[in-house]
Amino acid sequence: MNVPLSALIWFPAIGALLLQLLGFVKKEKDIKSIAVLFTTVALGLNLAVLSKSNSGTYLFQAVESVSWIENLGIRYLVGYDGISFWLTVLTTLMTLIIVVATPDTTKNLRGFFGLVLLLETAMLGSFCALDLVLFFSFFELTLIPMFFLVSLWGGPNRNKAAAKFVIYTFAGSIFMLVGIVALAIQHQKVTGQLDFSIINIQASVASGKFWANALQAQTLIFWALALGFMVKTPAFPFHSWIGDTYAESPTAGPILSSVMVKMGSYGFLRFCLPLFPEAVQSQAPVFMAIATIGILYGALVAIAQTDMRRMIAYSSLSHMGFVLLGIFSLSYKGMIGGSFQQFSHGITTGLLVILVGYLVEKHGTGDMNAFGGLKAKMPLFAGLFLLGMLGSVGLPTTNGFIGEFLALMGAYETGARGLFGLSPGFAIASGLGVVLGAVYLFVMFQKVFYGPVKVTEGPDWQDIPVSKALPAFVLVFFVFVGGLYPNLFFGPMEASTQATRLMAISEATKRPSWKDKPEEVTIRVALEDPMQGQYIRAGSERLISSARLHGNVDEKREIR
Amino acid sequence: MDNNAVWLIILLPVLGFLIQGLAGPSLQKRIGKKALGVLAVLPIAASFVLGLMLTQGLASQEHAEAVIVTGGSWINIMGLNIPFEWVVDPLSMTMVLIITGVGALIHLYSTAYMAEDKDFSRFFAYLNLFVAAMLVLVLGNNLPLLFIGWEGVGLCSYLLIGFWYTDTTNTKAANKAFIVNRVGDWSLMLGLFLIVVVISGANIPVEDNRYLSYDAMLPALTTALKANPAMATAIALLLFGGAAGKSAQFPLYVWLPDAMAGPTPVSALIHAATMVTSGVVLLNRMNIVFQLSPTASAIVCAVGAFTALFAAIIAFGQTDIKKVLAYSTVSQLGFMFIACGAGAYWAGMFHVTTHAFFKALLFLGAGAVIHAMSHEQDMRYYGKLGKYLPITFGTMMIGTLAIAGVPGLSGFYSKEAILGSAIANSHAGQLSAISGWVGLGVAALTAMYMGRLAMLTFFGKEERWRKLPVAEHHDHEDGHDDDHSHALTGDHKPKEVPVAMWLPLVVLALLSAGAGFILNQGKRFEHWLYPSGLSQLGELKHEVPNLEIYSYIAAGLGLVAGVLVYIGGLPAKEGLDETKWARWRRSAANQFGFDALLTNLFAEGGRDVAIGTSAFLEDQVIDGAVEGSASGTRNFGGWLQQIQTGAVRLYAMLMLLGGVGFVGYFLFVVNRGGK
Repeated sequence: MNVPLSALIWFPAIGALLLQLLGFVKKEKDIKSIAVLFTTVALGLNLAVLSKSNSGTYLFQAVESVSWIENLGIRYLVGYDGISFWLTVLTTLMTLIIVVATPDTTKNLRGFFGLVLLLETAMLGSFCALDLVLFFSFFELTLIPMFFLVSLWGGPNRNKAAAKFVIYTFAGSIFMLVGIVALAIQHQKVTGQLDFSIINIQASVASGKFWANALQAQTLIFWALALGFMVKTPAFPFHSWIGDTYAESPTAGPILSSVMVKMGSYGFLRFCLPLFPEAVQSQAPVFMAIATIGILYGALVAIAQTDMRRMIAYSSLSHMGFVLLGIFSLSYKGMIGGSFQQFSHGITTGLLVILVGYLVEKHGTGDMNAFGGLKAKMPLFAGLFLLGMLGSVGLPTTNGFIGEFLALMGAYETGARGLFGLSPGFAIASGLGVVLGAVYLFVMFQKVFYGPVKVTEGPDWQDIPVSKALPAFVLVFFVFVGGLYPNLFFGPMEASTQATRLMAISEATKRPSWKDKPEEVTIRVALEDPMQGQYIRAGSERLISSARLHGNVDEKREIR
Repeated sequence: MDNNAVWLIILLPVLGFLIQGLAGPSLQKRIGKKALGVLAVLPIAASFVLGLMLTQGLASQEHAEAVIVTGGSWINIMGLNIPFEWVVDPLSMTMVLIITGVGALIHLYSTAYMAEDKDFSRFFAYLNLFVAAMLVLVLGNNLPLLFIGWEGVGLCSYLLIGFWYTDTTNTKAANKAFIVNRVGDWSLMLGLFLIVVVISGANIPVEDNRYLSYDAMLPALTTALKANPAMATAIALLLFGGAAGKSAQFPLYVWLPDAMAGPTPVSALIHAATMVTSGVVLLNRMNIVFQLSPTASAIVCAVGAFTALFAAIIAFGQTDIKKVLAYSTVSQLGFMFIACGAGAYWAGMFHVTTHAFFKALLFLGAGAVIHAMSHEQDMRYYGKLGKYLPITFGTMMIGTLAIAGVPGLSGFYSKEAILGSAIANSHAGQLSAISGWVGLGVAALTAMYMGRLAMLTFFGKEERWRKLPVAEHHDHEDGHDDDHSHALTGDHKPKEVPVAMWLPLVVLALLSAGAGFILNQGKRFEHWLYPSGLSQLGELKHEVPNLEIYSYIAAGLGLVAGVLVYIGGLPAKEGLDETKWARWRRSAANQFGFDALLTNLFAEGGRDVAIGTSAFLEDQVIDGAVEGSASGTRNFGGWLQQIQTGAVRLYAMLMLLGGVGFVGYFLFVVNRGGK
């Protein structure tokens, strides 16, 4: 079945509309079933689109191009590649999870799911848009449903939280808009045509013509875009919306947010690296510093939190720091690690938020000091929480480890070589974030689940029913799939990540471009990596001389 | 024997974990605790048998060859390939036999020790998982696999220390263990990165990009480090940082004494026999790096010697029988690092082996005593227990003499090997010889505090718990639970432990007595681990004139001193406090304030910094700036009341105005740039 990408992008929005029109469906349970159906279909469409993907190329796939505002050169241009591949999966998967995890008792369920579905379209659109104006439109479109979700379904301070979220993001995106316009104008100046397509702009950048004699402008426009992405990611010091948003939203809020923040890190990968190579190289140390500060600062502030949702919010700041660290290490391993971390952060944060949300929903508070000894009463719940926590602290065999490990390794490598003015200090300091991550999570776990039972009155202390735990089981599954078989995720993203990296660090004229001919693609990737294709045989057994295990260099003798 | 059996060795404990973890509670109802206990012991015992068979195959080879069994790929990206691969060589198999052999015995022991616990299956789930993780640690053929095991055993250790989780002391100790270990892991991870950087920076090709696999990495790393010895020191110290965390070396030892909060079999298996020796295994694996850096080796020696001495002194201050053994473990681990620093890696492993036997024995013996004494761990309430617990008494005495270094027993041989090579070798410069002599002194101290432990527990003039108040009522229905509800009472009658508990004691006692002598025959152990001719280490010297005599004297003096001081038991007045050197002892008991200092500095201090950052920097400055600018604009809006109808609209408008200004500036810059 050949599913066009637009079908995937717009299906949820159509679903949102249908859900409002199906007035005769009155029962909450049925409304939820319909929403589950829609989001399941969306996930199915997503997998159908991706099943046709070619992991060997970095060119955009399933590209659709329709003229939108002809005078200004704005097109409806969508497509996906290895960078957006897993982010679309994360979007459709987490939306389904949210819908399943939302209790029937939520007020105005119809409107709630409508907004969630609308948000899904906006997020998918952001991850697939290849025209800057189209991207900006989807990017801004996410604000509206999110604003209403927080302000109508949120906690006591919901209005302030919603306003803060919107104004903050909006303030960032104003700069982004300026940058986008400036980019198009620059394109007009260079080629004589107003164009917002990143494929065309990047092709010009790759040839070196685009920024010839405009280095200062490049840095300025880079920063304009970067500011918007920094607010979204969030990066220190533009993160302070995240605490309120997490704490005051309904449970769906932080989960949606944990997908939405990827629009920030994705923005760096998709736009900043390919379009501003010199600026990226010169500003890399700044962003590595921002990432490192974010990792440590987020962890430190998380330690001080008593509200579990706020703690998870600041842990997100810390974990997204690893994404930035990986990306701006500009090393292949680091960028793969950062990209992987985007996906795994969505999974583990979603898992923890769902579980905390279950507690908040039942007991009306997220204060960790209000709980105690829950393990004895809720063993299944405690077990799931423990697994989510292990993913979050990055225990090896969980997905959290893979991302952090590779991001740190990449940052260390570039730093140790002194490339782009980086130092290994960033990776060394960021490593402390892994220690601090254990502090805040383990201390919280101890307070909530261990010790004597604190609350004996109030609602029942039954363990979470298996049916309610279903979303958590699915996410736990992904935590370990990501940790034990990350190659599944690396496969589709390798070529695009490498190409994006080369777009940023190669010299002009040697940069790959999204307009490369398909037959050039394999050559470009292979040229960069002479080792590629050397995979070892699985299931083999080899005799080696013990001397090799003691570092004997001369011992080359191989038996069998 | 097919080497693919190595998969089974690892997967059997995993299977055990899954059975206990997923089906444990329901199985317990259906088949009972006894059968469930058998299901917990079996996988470990089966792994042990498989391990024996593999070892036999390995030992029967004429040339020393290792086998690498490769499975699928774990992390495989351009430029880095980390497969699931296992190495079957003398080092890994030695550890496999210790882990599964001692592990099976301790599992067996636990079936009785934990028989009355309501979370029986949870305990064995964790314990089986621990064995699996530990096997991954020693069998993995690359450092990331070692790291899986490394953090995996840390997790199991965390779960088992906090096993009785309703007691906050236990769970705090568990957190402390995990977090302090993570500090070490941080260092280890940086070491890994540096290895990759050094090899790839020197442009040395590594087959299949397996940069972190021992067989591919070590030759390449050797070449790279020979050209750049400073890097050898850096890598060695980073790796040692990880080892110091896991193996409880100064200053990262602080978690281990607290870890005694876990059930005693856990202390025996994890915090004495296996996990804490991981650091020594790591140093053996990566010996070439230390071999290329005398500086790092000297530091390893010095840290080991200092830890050995420091912990031995602290052991005198302890009244809790498990704490004495805990500090004794820290001290003995120090010995192992002296050996590694001196370049006698095999001697370190030799001590790992013998220590696994006698320390597991001592801990299990202590567990038997604690079991017999209503979970009282304070030695001041023991005395004359030899009469009641003949088997425990006999086996523990063998363990005591073995750790004290009495000739003929296992501890003597491994300690001799360590001290001899430390004094005779000059790899680490003067420091190794100094460490060796310090070690000799610590050996005397060891004999002395172990003598004290034995005297206070099994000998003496009186049964000191008789002085405790008599219990008012007896109800022993719900067994010893997590709350230690069964306080020791004055009318308590200690009973010898059941067969499932004393059988492991007897086996371990036999090993503690004989293993050292047998393994030392004709340098058998040394040549097994480091085959002559293939060794890169050159000939190690370990002959020191008259060292044996010094050792006899040290062990003898220590034992006699320990016995003489405590032969009279404890003074009854002053609440059984040991009046002899009381103030000094109390200071030692508190680790001379070191733990408190670290706690103040990092735990309390760190928390204050976190709270301060959150309250000031985050809430006041960063978020304050945002909210402040919002309210600032609001005032500004009041001033421009005619256009302000809603705050949000105003901000939007202001931003738009600002944006327009920005666009103008950009256009200006862009156009100027073009000209």
